[in-house]
Parts: sequence; C-alpha cells; structure tokens
Amino acid sequence: MVTAAPQRPAFLPRGELDRLLDLLHEDGRTVIGPIARDGAIVYDEIRSAAELPAGWTDEQAPGRYRLNRTDSPRLFNYTVGPQGWKRYTQPPRVPLATATRDGATVSFEPAVSEPQRLAFLGVRACEIAALLVQDRVLAAGPFADDDFRARRANAMVIAVQCTRAGSTCFCTSMGTGPEVTDGYDLVLTELDDGFVVGAGSQAGERLLSQLAPAAASKAQQQAVTDGVAAARATMADQGVAAEGLPARLMDRLDHPRWAEVADRCLACANCTMVCPTCFCTSVGNVSDLDGATNQTERRWDSCFNGDFARVAGGNFRPRRQDRYRQWLTHKFATWHDQFGTSGCVGCGRCIAWCPVGIDVREELAAIAPPYEEPAAPPPAIRPPSLDALVPLPMVSYSPSVAQEPAFRADTSVATVRAVAGETADTFMLWLQPDDEGLLAARPGQFVMVDQPGFSPVPISVSRVADGALWLTVRAAGAATQAFTTLQPGAQVGLRGPLGRGWPIDRALGRDVVIVAGGIGLAPLRPALDAVLAQRDRFGDVLLAYGARTPADRLYLPELDAWAHAGVEVAQIVDRAGPEWLGQVGVVTQLLDRRDWKGRQAVAFVCGPERMMQATVSTLRTAGITRRRIFVSMERHMDCGVGICGHCQIGPFFVCRDGPVFTVAELGDLFGREGM
Amino acid sequence: MEAAVGAKPRVGVVKLASCDGCQLTLLDLEEQLLPLTERFELIEFPEATSRRSTGPYDVLLVEGSVSTREQLEEIIHLRSQTRLLVTIGACANAGGIQALRNWADEPAWRAAVYPTPDYIESLATSTPVAEHVQVDAELRGCPIDPRQLLELLTALRIGRRPQLDGESVCLECKRRGNVCVLVAGGQPCLGPLTQTGCGAICPAYGRACYACFGPREQANVPSLHGWLGRELPQVQVDRLFAGFNAWSPPFRDPAARAVRRAHGRDGAGDDADA
Repeated sequence: MVTAAPQRPAFLPRGELDRLLDLLHEDGRTVIGPIARDGAIVYDEIRSAAELPAGWTDEQAPGRYRLNRTDSPRLFNYTVGPQGWKRYTQPPRVPLATATRDGATVSFEPAVSEPQRLAFLGVRACEIAALLVQDRVLAAGPFADDDFRARRANAMVIAVQCTRAGSTCFCTSMGTGPEVTDGYDLVLTELDDGFVVGAGSQAGERLLSQLAPAAASKAQQQAVTDGVAAARATMADQGVAAEGLPARLMDRLDHPRWAEVADRCLACANCTMVCPTCFCTSVGNVSDLDGATNQTERRWDSCFNGDFARVAGGNFRPRRQDRYRQWLTHKFATWHDQFGTSGCVGCGRCIAWCPVGIDVREELAAIAPPYEEPAAPPPAIRPPSLDALVPLPMVSYSPSVAQEPAFRADTSVATVRAVAGETADTFMLWLQPDDEGLLAARPGQFVMVDQPGFSPVPISVSRVADGALWLTVRAAGAATQAFTTLQPGAQVGLRGPLGRGWPIDRALGRDVVIVAGGIGLAPLRPALDAVLAQRDRFGDVLLAYGARTPADRLYLPELDAWAHAGVEVAQIVDRAGPEWLGQVGVVTQLLDRRDWKGRQAVAFVCGPERMMQATVSTLRTAGITRRRIFVSMERHMDCGVGICGHCQIGPFFVCRDGPVFTVAELGDLFGREGM
Repeated sequence: MEAAVGAKPRVGVVKLASCDGCQLTLLDLEEQLLPLTERFELIEFPEATSRRSTGPYDVLLVEGSVSTREQLEEIIHLRSQTRLLVTIGACANAGGIQALRNWADEPAWRAAVYPTPDYIESLATSTPVAEHVQVDAELRGCPIDPRQLLELLTALRIGRRPQLDGESVCLECKRRGNVCVLVAGGQPCLGPLTQTGCGAICPAYGRACYACFGPREQANVPSLHGWLGRELPQVQVDRLFAGFNAWSPPFRDPAARAVRRAHGRDGAGDDADA
C-alpha cells in the first residue's frame, strides 16, 4: 500500500456502491464484506451491494450480542462482529506441507501458497490497526510468515468510518480509532444518502478516479467529522487506562484477582479466537493408515488450551489463572516488548463473545489501576524488555564451519548414522544432514527433528563432529520413542540450527562454571567441547553434574576424559547403590563452599527449572552475578522461529530469544509458577 | 498410549450396556474398512462378524457402561486379555444416559420400565469402564466421531500419540465460522465446557451443544451454570447436565439435582419446574 497525497473527499450516492464492487471485480478481486447471518454480522463474499446488511444494527454487551432491524437505509450501521479479518489473512486452517515416508526415505514438500486477490470491504479503524499489528507479528520479525505476507499483499483495504460505537468498544483508549487514518486504500463514511469517499493509496486513487464521483459538499464533510466525533464521545467513559499499563500489569503478576477471574473464566478460548491479533497456532497431522503420506496443517490454537504449554513430563500453565494471566499480560504488556505495540486494538470482541461476559476493561481496572497521583509508582520488579536482549556472542566450536549459521525455514533431510542407548531412558541419535548449514549449530542451539506423521521435536545439539550432529534424546513421548526404532540409513527431517546458545566468548579469560542436572548435560557438552578446543584461553573450568542415580549419568567415558583435559569434574547423585563412592545429594552441594567473588566467573546452567533456581541462588551467593549466569530454558516449542506463540515466558519467545538467557534478562519471571 | 503395535494387531470390538451406535461408527468408515481389515485382524466384532474370539487382544474397543454383574465380571476378564483398552462413547467413558439411575430408586425405575421386572438383574448403578479397570485411551461422544476413530487406529499403526484434543468445542466453532449460539442466540450452549472432536456439528446447525463429548479439561461448570442461571431457572440449567455424561465428575452436582428434583427425592415433588 503506497500512501498518496490526500485528495479532496468525494461523494458516492448509495445506489452507486455497486459500481465500486464492479471495479473491484473487474480487477480480478473477490470482495469480502459484512453480511447478516445467523444473528450476527460476519465477513463473507459479497457479489453485490444488495447483500450488505441494510438496516441492521447491533447491540453488544459483555457476553451478549444481538442484531436488530431498523428502518435506516444504512449498510454499515453496526460495529464489529465476531470475525476479524484474520480469518482471511491468517486463516483458521492452512496447509503447511506434505511429509512422505517410503521405507527409510522421507521427504518434506512445503505447501504452495497462492492466495486469491481479495478486497476487504467495511474494515473499521480498529481492524486496520489489527492488520498493522499482524504485519509486525507475522511479517516483520526475524522470520516472516510467507503465507500471511502473500495474503496480506493480495488484499485491498476499503475502510468504513465508525459513526457510532457499541458499549464494548474502546478503540479511543487504545489509540486505534474511531477515525481511520492509515493503512487503507479507500475509506467510506456512510451518511443517510451515500458515502463520503477518500483514497489512502495510489490503488485507491485509481479506483476513485474510475468512479469519478462528485466532490463532497461542506455539509457532507462536516457530517463525517460529526459522525466520528459521536462515536468517540460514546467511548469517553468505557475505556482502559492504557498509559503506563504494561509496567503496572507486570507489577501485578501476584494480584489475587487472577485467581478470582479464573473462577469465572471457562478457559474456552473464545476471546483468543475472536481477537483480531491473537496469532497462536499449532500444527496437526492428517496421515494415511500407514503414515506414508502426511498432510500437515497449521491451525488456530489458544494459550487457554490445556496442551498449549505442555511438554513431555509437565504443563507450564496448568491452571486457568495461569492461562488468563498469560493472555492478558501478553496482550496488554509483553506485546509491547515483542512488537513495539499493544496487542489490543480496543475492538471489544473478547468482551462481547466471552460466554460468561468477562470484561477485560474491568479486569485491568481491578488488577492494574492507574497509580494514584502524586505518589510515585512503587519500584517495579519487572523483566527487562527485549530491547535489553542483545545477541549473545557465540563461537562455533567447529572452526572449519562458517561463524554465522544461516537460518533455514524449510525442513531438510538427514540420514541416521546410528542410534545408540546412552542410559536407561536416553539415547544418542547420530544424524548426517544433507544441508551442511546445520553443522554450523553453535553450543546451546537446537534443531527440530521431524518424522512424517509426528509432531516435530526440539532437540538440543549435543555435539557437532565429523560432518554429523549428535543429539541426546530422552524417550519421553511417542515421537522420541519412535526415534529409537530408526535403523542406520533411515532418514528424518531437520530444521535449524535454531535459537540463541551459550555465549562462549563471554567466558574467555575467565573461570567457567558449568552446572548440569540429568539430561541437562546434553546442551552443555558443546560448550565443554568449545572450551576444551581452546583450553588455555579460559581460567579454571568446573563441571558440577547432578543425576538421579549413577546409572542416569550421561557420557560416562567423557566425564573421565574431561577430568584429564583440565576440567574439574564434580559429580553427585540423588540415590546411590553400594557401588557409588561419590557424593549423594543435590547438585548445589557441589557448589556450596565455592567462592568466585572478584573473579568474574561465568556460569552455564541447564537442568530442570527447580534445579536451576536452586543453582542460581547458590552461584549468586558464591559471587557470580545474574548477568554472568546463563540458563537454558525449556518450553513447548512448535515452530522454533517465534510465530506459533507456544514457548513464551513474559516478553520472550524461548525458541527465538533463547533458549539460553542470562538470569538478569529473565528477572522476576525465572522460576515463577504458571509462566 | 504405547508405541506402534505389531504388524497386524489383533483387534476386538465388544459392548457392555449401550445402543451399539459407537461400534457402528467403525462400519460407517466405509471406504476405509477394507484397508483397515488389511492392517488389523478383527478377531471379535459381533456387529460385523459371527467369528468369535476370547482374545488376547492387542487393541480392544469397549462400548457401553457397566450395568450388570456379568458385565462387571466380563470387563475385568477382558482387561486381563488386552494390551490397549480403549473405551468408546459416552456410556463406556461416563456411564451413559443410563447413569441417571445412579441417583434414582433403581428398583422403582425397573418396575416402571419392564412388565416383568423380576427377569431383570442389574446393578443399582451404571458406571464407566474406568471405574473398574484401567483404560488406556478414550474416544468421546454419543456416538463417537469417525474421524477420531480413524485417527486412533492410524496413530496405533504409526506409533504416534493420537491427536485427540482436549480443547473446548468453541475453538472448532470459531474456526468453522459458526456464530456463537450462546452469545448471539441466547441458547444455553455447553460448548465452552465440552471436549472437542465432533467438529462443532450442532452449533453449525444453530443448535446449542449438549455436551455429548463430555466435560473437557478445566471444565468450569459452576461459572457457566451461574451465567446461564441469570436468564433460566436453575432447574432448567441443572437439566442440561443430566445427559449422556451426567455421571462424569464435573457434571455430577447439577445432574444429581436435576434427577432428584424430577423424582421428588428432595421433597420438592415431581418436576417442580414444569
């Protein structure tokens, strides 16, 4: 959309609206616009202006929506219905790829996106704001969603000014309306006898010159101003205190209201489905009976669903209050950190379409009311914004490979060299990727391993050597269990390397403290490899390794080898048999009497979150600051590139911004329940 | 759910107290039936074949609730013969519509229904299979959904976890573009509490969901009950829960009130709301 110089507004009699539709049709566009169906205004294909909902108006309240007939000739005399335009820009179901398996051979064929040319008719100011938010979320990040981009580029936006507002509308407080100011090709303001029309882009100018309408009169232009002012006036007392809201909300993560609203919340996900900016998705598989051909499909998902934050072995947000807090804080606070804008455009859909009438405006006012003047706000304990998240310097530990791993969005094929048992429930998957770019994986990065018919699994790289990746995998679910049956020569899909790993550079010249719990040693092994490759460039190196039992320890021969190569290897187990002569207890006991004060030591920690919490506390006591303690976080990951929404912790996408973070970056969110 | 079963798994389909509709879903798979029989050995399926078996089974699909002493003995025996036991349908999962008798005077109901009640030997309660033996997976619905059945069988073949979402019906409604019959139509819809899997059929035809797939994870019954009670008498709201899944724990309180009120157990007399 190229913005044009504002032209003098024109007037189009209502009877000539079909001329506009005809021009759009001649341009090869399908027109999507409002129709009255099943008691609501929904967006569907419009062939002629006669299909528009003449005379209909709406009445909205928390948990309630009704359409009423009036004698008005107006076609747009209602506010927003249940559906946003995301139905057409990010459809509920999108084919992603076809994954096939033929014996040991696999292939992954991405679906081709060839969206129709569309024209959106009747887009309101808040909805334009929502499209612009989607642009930032889906098309402006490090990874752009091509399907969204193509659909958005193929859609013309014909806006309609709101001249009335419903009781659920609050665009004025979110700064998105009611006036249409940007992001449109044409804008219509409906009067009793027709439309005042203006163009907002060169494409809109062309349309307007083809329509060749008369200039709008002064009175007509005044009616536009008055109409918008009337809508604005309705909303004067029904908004949210948006100024400073993100900080206030993140200060109130422990507010008792979260539990109270959870007593009412059904966790049914309607708010997220009707929200025009909620973007979270999951990928499903439709397979034939043998799993030979598998169609993968991306579909709308919601942070209110039970499986959304689940990983093998647990759920990071088990309670309704966790999920409501995640949604509300993301929408109104951490969205700013991630995308430089609020996630809320004030359309009020989540209020009207909540089956039990929960009103975000009331919840925000109860949880995060404006601070009373003139008292200064209490000192905020809040996580730093993404602005503070700088790319960590990372060195490749295989010097033959280019330093900057190229990002790869597509799944490529890798061949299994071997699968070998490591402990009772873990095994090593040794993969030779077709795409050598994967070998550029840096310590702490991960890959998505894809088998046709299964959900892709994020696995950290536990070594790169000899043209192959070593992955240490725990057989925790069906997909990882299926890896164990792979024979040498079989193929899997691989995508990556992904995420931000251990900043080995930060440890140069310093003592290095590596603390691992159980399988947490796997992503740390490349860090050890990197340190040992240039051992004389680091100070003292300690590996503190805790495991449930002696038999649960990974890489037994290497533990000895590291000890001989200049690493102090300390080990401890929870439970031991008579054969164990070492320490018994928790991993922090290995750190208890250490002292790194004044030594600027750097710590890399990976293990269960509780273990990392205890470890961080011990390390800080021993003199390592939060900025020099790095932890690797685990969350549910689907896309690996920050667009599916599953792995969020506060402002962070663990897949894209992590999985390695400094404890200072995570701040108050580290170890917090229900995040 | 375990990983892939053997090359040609031995499958049984059996029923306890039920109407057979869920079993018939298997026959309704039509064009998938032959491919299925090439991949699974159907060793017990009285609705389809007179060939009988006593097991053992790699996979056993169990329809129906435990309503008689024989059924109780049978399910315990079948469990011992079965690797993966899958309950299919609201009767097997939740006790079915017949579980309404769990709050009633069972001999009185029997006498009211059967001309010669002495011939009938049934337990005082109709209970889900999982109250008696371990269940490995369940397919919800009254009846079950053919796509979910196919997904279960496919997942067993491939070795993946069956994709049986625990989310509410609302998501599927919104993905389909259905207009909410509760918010826009004022109908008492149980979709927000109900596990998905049906494809949101009823709301797609303008009818409220009556929870035949049963309560979902985190079903917040008191909240929706209270909300619906703003416009409907409590007895009517209670009755919404006294359906095929009445005995499932989240629905039990309102269902019990509905049954007791209808039969004067609380002294309120018959059908006080009628």
